[in-house]
Amino acid sequence: MGKRPPITNRVKLHRMLAGGITQAELGEAVGVTRHTIIAIEQGAYSPSLETAFRIARHFGVGIEDVFGWEG
Amino acid sequence: MSFQDLSFREKSAWAMGALVLAITIFYLIDVQPISWRTGEAPPVDRHFIKITIATIVGSILIQGLLAARNPKEADAPADERERLALARAGSLSGFILGFGSIAALMNYLVHPNGDLLFHGILLSLLVSTIAESALQIFFFRRGG
Repeated sequence: MGKRPPITNRVKLHRMLAGGITQAELGEAVGVTRHTIIAIEQGAYSPSLETAFRIARHFGVGIEDVFGWEG
Repeated sequence: MSFQDLSFREKSAWAMGALVLAITIFYLIDVQPISWRTGEAPPVDRHFIKITIATIVGSILIQGLLAARNPKEADAPADERERLALARAGSLSGFILGFGSIAALMNYLVHPNGDLLFHGILLSLLVSTIAESALQIFFFRRGG
């Protein structure tokens, strides 16, 4: 495994808060695959700014409520 | 994680990698004994036709089977993480193809045999294709 990117996220928490929507449902809603949502939640992949905004908007919160930076 | 849990593109990378690996092994088994017997590079036409047909038929069967089992994923375009993984794998495997092709051309300067040059470049293409599949799997697993 490579070095993890310094982007943190609370996607899983927001999925639970949003009524337990699945990774596949979130992926379909924001235009990525279930495997990409899994990689984002595990911190293995940092999404593009556009996808990050889409995820935040899907949950009805600001982008900094979902994503953070550890740098 | 079972094969069924993998994304469509990772399944495709595994299947295509296995196909090209099998074709490469078949090609080496097919070509090497002739080379040992004659001490020369074997003629390319027969081997090239066999490999081309096997690759085309094998690819159509594999992609058709995977698409039939996962029609929704097969229709969907690659997402941003998959595009990144595919681009990185393609870029690195391109270096392997380039290195192998240049090595074959350099060899041609010493041993000016067109058949040998053809086999060298064909083998580079096969190895780079296997490497591309392996790198795709690596980048998909790593996250992008």
